[in-house]
Amino acid sequence: MDRNSIEKRLNDQKDLLSNLVKKAKSNGIDQVEIYSSYGYSEDVSLEKNDLNNCTATEENMFGIRVIHEGNQGFIISNHIPSLYQSIEEAYSLAKSQSTPDLDLVLPEPESIQNHFNQYDASLDTMGIEDLVASAKEALGWRNDLYSKVNIDSGDFSLSKGYKLIVSSKGVMAHELGAELSASVMGMGVDGDLVGSFDYDSASGFDKTQFQTLWKKAFMNFGDKCMGALYAKPISGFQGKVLLPPEAVYSFFLGLFIGSLNGTSLRKGKSKMAGKLEEKVASSLLSIWDDPTNNSFMGSTGFDREGLPTSKKPIITEGVLHTYFYNTYEAKKAGLPKSNGCATGGAQSLPGCGPKQLQIAPGSAAKDEFFKLPGKTLFVNRISGTKDGASGDFSGVIKGGYLLENGEKIPVREVQIVGNAFEALNQIEAISKEGELLGESSFVPYMLLDGFTITGVTEE
Amino acid sequence: MRNLLKECLAEESGFVELRYHHKESRSFFAERGRVESTALRKRTGVGVRVLEAGTWGFASTSEISKSSIQNAIQVAKKAARLSSALRKDKIPNLPKANFAVGDFIGKGIEDFRNRTVEEKLKLVLDIQNAAAKQSAKLQSVGCGYSEIYEEKAIVTTDGADSFFSMVRPEFRVSAVAKEDGKMESGSHSIGVTGGWDCLFRSQSPTEISDEACKTAVDLLSSSLPEGGLSTVILSPSIVGLLVHEAIGHTVEADFVLSGSVAQGKIGHRVGSDLVTLCDSGYSEYYEGAGGSIPVDDEGVIPTNTVIIKNGILSSYLHNRETAERFGVAPTGSARAWEYGDVPLIRMRNTFLMPGNSSLEEMIANTKDGYYLDGAKNGQADATGEFMFAVQKAYRIQNGKITDLLKGVTVSGLAFDVLQNVDMVSKEFKWDLGSGHCGKGQPAKVDAGGPYVRTKVLLGGK
Repeated sequence: MDRNSIEKRLNDQKDLLSNLVKKAKSNGIDQVEIYSSYGYSEDVSLEKNDLNNCTATEENMFGIRVIHEGNQGFIISNHIPSLYQSIEEAYSLAKSQSTPDLDLVLPEPESIQNHFNQYDASLDTMGIEDLVASAKEALGWRNDLYSKVNIDSGDFSLSKGYKLIVSSKGVMAHELGAELSASVMGMGVDGDLVGSFDYDSASGFDKTQFQTLWKKAFMNFGDKCMGALYAKPISGFQGKVLLPPEAVYSFFLGLFIGSLNGTSLRKGKSKMAGKLEEKVASSLLSIWDDPTNNSFMGSTGFDREGLPTSKKPIITEGVLHTYFYNTYEAKKAGLPKSNGCATGGAQSLPGCGPKQLQIAPGSAAKDEFFKLPGKTLFVNRISGTKDGASGDFSGVIKGGYLLENGEKIPVREVQIVGNAFEALNQIEAISKEGELLGESSFVPYMLLDGFTITGVTEE
Repeated sequence: MRNLLKECLAEESGFVELRYHHKESRSFFAERGRVESTALRKRTGVGVRVLEAGTWGFASTSEISKSSIQNAIQVAKKAARLSSALRKDKIPNLPKANFAVGDFIGKGIEDFRNRTVEEKLKLVLDIQNAAAKQSAKLQSVGCGYSEIYEEKAIVTTDGADSFFSMVRPEFRVSAVAKEDGKMESGSHSIGVTGGWDCLFRSQSPTEISDEACKTAVDLLSSSLPEGGLSTVILSPSIVGLLVHEAIGHTVEADFVLSGSVAQGKIGHRVGSDLVTLCDSGYSEYYEGAGGSIPVDDEGVIPTNTVIIKNGILSSYLHNRETAERFGVAPTGSARAWEYGDVPLIRMRNTFLMPGNSSLEEMIANTKDGYYLDGAKNGQADATGEFMFAVQKAYRIQNGKITDLLKGVTVSGLAFDVLQNVDMVSKEFKWDLGSGHCGKGQPAKVDAGGPYVRTKVLLGGK
């Protein structure tokens, strides 16, 4: 499967979907939207420090949304010959409902300014043989440098495809994409000692970019597994936590970002309701959403509804500037149109959220965080739970360290409890260094104070 | 479908496995007085797995035709040949297994087919409307009904030849309560393998809704427990999470081979005498457990696998490949989520066997501890360290339940927690049927058991 054949498929499908939408309109189905997601991928998987499986998969999924007099039906299918039948089924689902909301409509089309070309033709010369070679190289790194690290699973993937949206309102947008990616998961094992799981991943637009990022990610994975191997229990304390970029993004920030979702706000489930232009976080914190940077992996010119994306500030020096809306939620909030923040793909209805968060670097030197006086808990990862409404979170620290008097002591059986909204004001420092997570979101290190840390040993 | 698949295999000589999978998922959700979403998801295709030159090759197609399936077989063979040079530990052959042959039609399929979309929409809307009126503190109540209907045909060149179908309905209610700027949420859900009557056999939709709403409102006036190592009585849903997360994952044979904490421990004591743990493809004690399967995704009839017998580790969970490596019979634990997924070793219904105590005796015998109820999420680690989250923690003082406390994360080392089990109730309940397990792919599972008393690390203030 190469770029030419994917483009031909895309062009044929634009015609097919446009004709289906026209046919639906002529049969009295006025509001139809079809979101198509096509992907072809070749994968090589690892298991138990060995190659496990080679796969080739191809699939085209379609998400069909029909809105009829304020009611909505949604069908997901991978069967092209019966797509028109699926439109009729979605129409039937919409008609079966009795709770219309006339704010529920498909969006009017808007001009898309950012056109992305994230398909590097050099990937067309690659295939499973190259993925096997990458797998061989990674197993070599493991054998030579991390013999005490067991690779539980790993995956190397070459994927290509497109997304396409067509609607009866005239929305028509598409993007091609291709990437190389890899991930690895495993743990350190030394005799009877077994360390915590850890993982890492990388992706790239071309082979050179991928290889550089993947090697760095694999070494990071190996170091994390080895660091967790000789962990010990500690006693609990009240104090500081140091979050590396992954932990900032995946746990602490996720709850806050979820509270800016237009649906949560409308349903009264968000503590950030009514807080626009108010100070909700430490002045050290600035966040923006930027899906428009062509060098980032997740950039896109349009959202789940085919409307243009844009760069927008979320928090500037602690002050909240925006919420995230799709067309329906924007109407419910009394806004003239959405802010291009419809999320999801063919297999989901449009949600609300950011595309590519960026957090402004601070002024602190990351290395200084590791030399603080007293006790600081370095939270590599939290395996736990979080509650979107209250903001409460709690979990077990994985691959963490107790930083004490310049020492870095790996810990296990340690829990942390906190609240994400309070934590926004507990930020004591932000590093100037950070990482580009998923090759798309810049996130620095953060030092926070005032946390309850529970351990199992006595002081 | 079995005939088409067999036709595709007619000229094949090596090992080829064809798995046809058609899946339809329907979901209906109501909140704030209206139906928020109705969705139908249909996905159909054939997954092709071959064992060639000592390794696996896999391909899939969504086109159900002889030529397309045969093309996928060739793609899978080519993939296997290309990778064979790298694989160190070649798979010489697969063991014989107790293959399923024939049709296995699940219970409840006609029941869900005979109920209209309108009936299902009315259910979620009525329950939601009634619940929202229960308390002025309720900010929002969401009610959802969903069902997954699946049919599969599995045919292999070495003897599997089956068609099976099943339906898995679920019902869930989530509520958010608010007072003086404080927000709390409560949720309750059930899920079974079977029909509508099976789904609502132990609790009516209204009772499920009442429980979710009451939790959200009650938690408004709760605080965090004291953190630390504590004596706890776990409800069946929490026991289910414990045995699934803390033990089940560590005994999946692929994970054992990667070095999990259960490696080399067959025949060793890993729990108290009171602990007998099983993972079954069937629904033991009573029908409807959410992870039941008539046939696994390698075409093998599933077993009731006794993992721990009276505290001694006795078996891992196997697919055909790991069964060959360990020299045992496959346990029928290979499962794939979609046709495009390769089968992995997964749990089905994981449960602790009941004991002799009653819940009342267990509470009365606890001087200082907590009763934990309402499973949320959980995860386990290679080390056997696990965490699970609970909705509600009730303080037990001098043999009596006192205050409701905000549920938190509970953690421990799997085998330590099992060693510390000192009371097990005679009551039994499946209570995780609305859950999914994640291991690269999702899987419908269930878990449960009796009430159990042990010691865990409780996160708190």
